[in-house]
Amino acid sequence: MNLQRILAIAAKEWREIVRDRLFFSLAFVVPALLMLLFGYGLSLDVENIPFAVVDHDRSAASRDYAYRFIDSRYFRFHGYAGDERMAGQLIGSGEVRVVLVIPPQFGKSLAQGRPAAIQTLVDGSFPSRAMTTKGYVTAINAAFSLAAVAQAVSHATGLSQQDALAQLTPIALESRYLYNQSVSSIWSLAPKLIMVILMLSPPFLTALGVVREKENGSIFNIYASNVSRGEFLVGKLAPYVAISSVNILLLWLLAVLLYQVPFKGSLLFFLPATLVYVLCTTGIGLLVSVLVRTQVAAMIVTMVVTMIPAVLYSGLIIPIVSLGSGARLVAQLMPAMYYTDIVVGCFLKGVGLLSLWRPLAILAVYACLLFAIGYRLFSKRPNT
Amino acid sequence: MKADWQLAWRRFAVMLVKELKQLGRDRVLLAFIVYAFTADIFLAASGVSLSLNHAATLVQDMDHSPQSRELLSRFQSPYFRMDGSVGQDTAALAALDQGRAMLVLSVPPQFGKQLAGGQPTSIAMQVDTTNSVLGFLATSHAQQIVSQYGLESAMRRLGLDDKAAASLPTVQNDIRVWYNPNQQDSWFMGVAEMLNIATVFAVLLPAAALVREKERGTVEQLIVSPLSPFGILFPKVVSMTGVILCGVALSLFLILIPLFAIPVKGSLLLFFALSGLYVFTTAGLGLFAATIARNLAQAGMLSILILAPMLFLSGAWTPPEAMPVWLRGLMYASPLHYYLDIAFGVLLKGQGLAELQPAILGMSGIGLLVFGSGLLLFRRQFG
Repeated sequence: MNLQRILAIAAKEWREIVRDRLFFSLAFVVPALLMLLFGYGLSLDVENIPFAVVDHDRSAASRDYAYRFIDSRYFRFHGYAGDERMAGQLIGSGEVRVVLVIPPQFGKSLAQGRPAAIQTLVDGSFPSRAMTTKGYVTAINAAFSLAAVAQAVSHATGLSQQDALAQLTPIALESRYLYNQSVSSIWSLAPKLIMVILMLSPPFLTALGVVREKENGSIFNIYASNVSRGEFLVGKLAPYVAISSVNILLLWLLAVLLYQVPFKGSLLFFLPATLVYVLCTTGIGLLVSVLVRTQVAAMIVTMVVTMIPAVLYSGLIIPIVSLGSGARLVAQLMPAMYYTDIVVGCFLKGVGLLSLWRPLAILAVYACLLFAIGYRLFSKRPNT
Repeated sequence: MKADWQLAWRRFAVMLVKELKQLGRDRVLLAFIVYAFTADIFLAASGVSLSLNHAATLVQDMDHSPQSRELLSRFQSPYFRMDGSVGQDTAALAALDQGRAMLVLSVPPQFGKQLAGGQPTSIAMQVDTTNSVLGFLATSHAQQIVSQYGLESAMRRLGLDDKAAASLPTVQNDIRVWYNPNQQDSWFMGVAEMLNIATVFAVLLPAAALVREKERGTVEQLIVSPLSPFGILFPKVVSMTGVILCGVALSLFLILIPLFAIPVKGSLLLFFALSGLYVFTTAGLGLFAATIARNLAQAGMLSILILAPMLFLSGAWTPPEAMPVWLRGLMYASPLHYYLDIAFGVLLKGQGLAELQPAILGMSGIGLLVFGSGLLLFRRQFG
């Protein structure tokens, strides 16, 4: 390894990047823009669910029941529908996601102290959303039902309605939300977005940079020169790692200042650990670029091996524990999952090297391995 | 007149063959297209689940009464999974810290006695809400279990037996979930992943095919040929559309229908026709990026800039109702949003042309606009 040659290659690469002004600015703009877009747009909260009511009863009780939903911030009232057929059309067209069907005699049954039934239709095209919606519907229904029972009990026993209600709910559930007290999405989302964006942009930059030389043929200058394989790879990758390091700071600042996510850990641990992760993802880019010959293939392969796993198998949307075994294996093979532990630990849990040394070590080994394979496969004497 | 028409057709056929050959010779790329449309979709559909199942639960029972055991035994699968008990608060916190448990339930001493005596009591639950959706679901299910148990024990104490309870004015809510009655995530995940992959290829392939010509200089050859700008761009898009439709067919007939039993309620012909329209539309976006970019690296970054928002903000992950208004506006400009409605509408809901009309109109409108402006830009550059 000759430092001077490495520097020469790095300087050449740097100049090439900077002179392509559109590319250079996109290298910084894309990560920041993604952070903004997803931070504001990728909310997993299910709120304002549009719903309609089919009221066959039109009694005080049925209106009261509907109002429990209309008043809730989780639902947005779309209007009354005439019959089930119209309601079905509303769900089919996606205008509403929930329809409450209140049968005739609903109010009368309750007034006479008999059980009553309600039918709820839920649009199941998005299963997770349907699950959450079911949770809301069940909770509101339970509250209404309990109030009705309390009224009946107070009639029967002579207790006041409030006392009856207290008697019927002897156990309170005191929930404590850990790590994200307000259960607000952005706090849990922003740190993971750093993970996703750093998974996307470094390999992309790197793969394109190396394959470009291959496809344009300028790599023959390297083949013919006295620069060694290692020197070439180190010099070539250094500018891309430098760009990504600036992006680390940029993304961290956006998370802390714009989204006000509390950063409970220490920067002295977070920054080096993130650098290791960036080395990992850069290594993925390197490996792809060594394997493919055209930039088109480089782009698509990087996209498929980074973007989709980064979103699905990293714990961004779905926690690793609820993945199936096949997907969990993929998750464990990708660096994203380990870095998720680190970034969430640093931001929300405030833990440091002591509890996070294991994922960090795995990332370091991962990075070394990727570079070693890339080094082995990169040859100055190509077959063709 | 007739000769003109024949000539145009022959030019089109020649260009089409050229594009397909060029694509076919990039073996790595072809292999990845096949991988993405089969193995990747299989993994997504089989492994990824957004619902709460088997949440790792630890209990801290300081009461050890029949009542506490009865209540805790109700935390069962599919939502919860009992992973044993912990003695101390610190052990519980450590388990949560390391992600070994998602929730810890603590029953205070005297719980059973207070319950039997009709005094108000409480149990504590600590939830890891790093994933806020699952945190919410876990809390809501736990709340249901606890209040149900509380109600039953209160009834018993008040001397109301089961028969009397049946005559109370309770409201039974019968929830029916349409289109996916068992809420199988594999249906949603599989189809959504297929659409995502199709989108990735629909933007990248034509963009790359055009920029490559620019970068290598072969575009000059095309321009001096008697081909019109439209004659250059159109075969590119058609060939890529064909390849992507083959990929969609591959994943539908090889993976989604045989392995995951996705019910095809509507017409497959309609689905493929609309998929063709969609890929064509989205290819317009890729071409748009390709006319702006001067080399492939730029085109790549620009396509990420187009693709990532399209994939994330299509409404598949985030319900449109929950987005801020300005982003919702942006979403309506994304063809994937309409295609999502169309694909789920045809495959799961069995909708036809009539119901899908607004989505189809929206998609074609965007397609014409983008394709037209891409063509205009290209013509200005090389006209």
